[in-house]
Amino acid sequence: MRALCWTGVNEVSVEDVPEPRLLNRQDALVKVTASSVCGSDLHLLDGYVPAMLAGDVLGHEFVGEVVEVGPDVRERRPGERVTVCSIIGCGRCHYCREGLWSLCDNTNPNPGFQEKLNGHASAGIFGYSHAMGGFAGSHAEYVRVPYADVNAFPVPENVPDASAVFASDAVPTGWMGADLGQVGPGDVVAVWGCGGVGQMAALASLRMGADRVIAIDRFPERLDMAAALGADPLDYEHTDVLDALKELTGGRGPDVCIEAVGMECHGTGAQYAYDRAKQAVRLQTDRGLSLRQAIQACRKGGTVSVLGVYLGLVDKFPMGALMNKGLTLRSGQQHGQRYIPIILDRMSKGEIDASPLLTHPMSLEDGPKGYELFKEKLDGCVRAVFQPSRS
Amino acid sequence: MLAARVMRSARPARTTWFAVTVEADPSELSGPSRPDALARLAERHEVRVTRAPGGRGSEIAVRAADGRTREEVRALKQLLETGEVLVVEGQPEGHRTVLGRVARPAFRQLTRRGAR
Repeated sequence: MRALCWTGVNEVSVEDVPEPRLLNRQDALVKVTASSVCGSDLHLLDGYVPAMLAGDVLGHEFVGEVVEVGPDVRERRPGERVTVCSIIGCGRCHYCREGLWSLCDNTNPNPGFQEKLNGHASAGIFGYSHAMGGFAGSHAEYVRVPYADVNAFPVPENVPDASAVFASDAVPTGWMGADLGQVGPGDVVAVWGCGGVGQMAALASLRMGADRVIAIDRFPERLDMAAALGADPLDYEHTDVLDALKELTGGRGPDVCIEAVGMECHGTGAQYAYDRAKQAVRLQTDRGLSLRQAIQACRKGGTVSVLGVYLGLVDKFPMGALMNKGLTLRSGQQHGQRYIPIILDRMSKGEIDASPLLTHPMSLEDGPKGYELFKEKLDGCVRAVFQPSRS
Repeated sequence: MLAARVMRSARPARTTWFAVTVEADPSELSGPSRPDALARLAERHEVRVTRAPGGRGSEIAVRAADGRTREEVRALKQLLETGEVLVVEGQPEGHRTVLGRVARPAFRQLTRRGAR
């Protein structure tokens, strides 16, 4: 079959690879119908995640059809159209039982790397390096799904692939950002980053009753998209974010600050230049500009919810602001299994439509071009989505 | 002498136990119901099974666990909790470079067992 592989820093190529097979009794094989690029893939592409090997199949956000199930799969059946959670849970360990699926104890067979770096390892993720389990990704014609009963969710018939594909990652991640911040009526929420996850965090905050959502980015088309969802756009290249947020909130600052950017944050001014220089010579692994700003902006006693992916160390972390303002800092890879059924149901009722994120439907063969458009934000690209059946 | 003493105080002794918490009652891990894999571990290592606080199952601690043993303990936990041990070998992969193929066993060892 054809699959999009990582072949080196900023290099991907479509190759012939063997088809996957069932390796465990609770596995399913899924024929991929749509698989999206994700901002977190860019950290792999750019070489910031060291546990990649040339030949690894990329992709973790996808929808498809079940074609085969292992003998111990009880719920899923061949023929079902399913959204698969990007983060793999086992459903049985303490963390999965508590709903903290991305902390699963059993789905990362390669915990050594993270244990050394972070103290403990998190769950496995499709197509996201050997440090996250070494699972083959979904930018392929077929993908193997472990523990299929808990990780694959039937998609209601009236929800198109263009929306269902994002129920795999962008929507539940955004939803979790608002949920971690316990967004409710009367709240003012600020969201850093208007990529797929940021857009969905803004939408989730509005659905949870936020009075106002301020969406921060620098690309006009992304700010327009957030505005179309009902958020107030804020262009950080033309407006001082901290000043503007104070003015917009009567001097209080946002009640909930959602950071949907991560370790390769862009910005302006001396702080950005400093971060880039230190990361370039590996004196810090992650650039923390948006994270610092979110902490600085947040109202006293508010919550900062971090969705952007960080790998290791951030320099100049404003611990003083966090402590003296009594902030709550919450974070995590998405606990998708907790949110996906609710999201698919809301999609079916017309309450969530994620399809505007899909700006560039493409064939799998166009994968390298898709990543280039996405990475360089060319042609208004928010998400390129590969459809293996498309030629 | 002094240097040796400074070194000793600078680096506290590490515990020799490797421990995991398993969603299983201690009674399922001892006596006749003790899983074979746990019995085999106990032949080579000192093994301690205690009840975890807060209804979180059992703590299995293994003394002097090397990389292979740590892998076995994790596999045991997975088997007890999910009924099988997740396999990642044999998945689709693209062209591996010569360097990638040569380095792979060491790389796999490092990601799987960790540097300790």
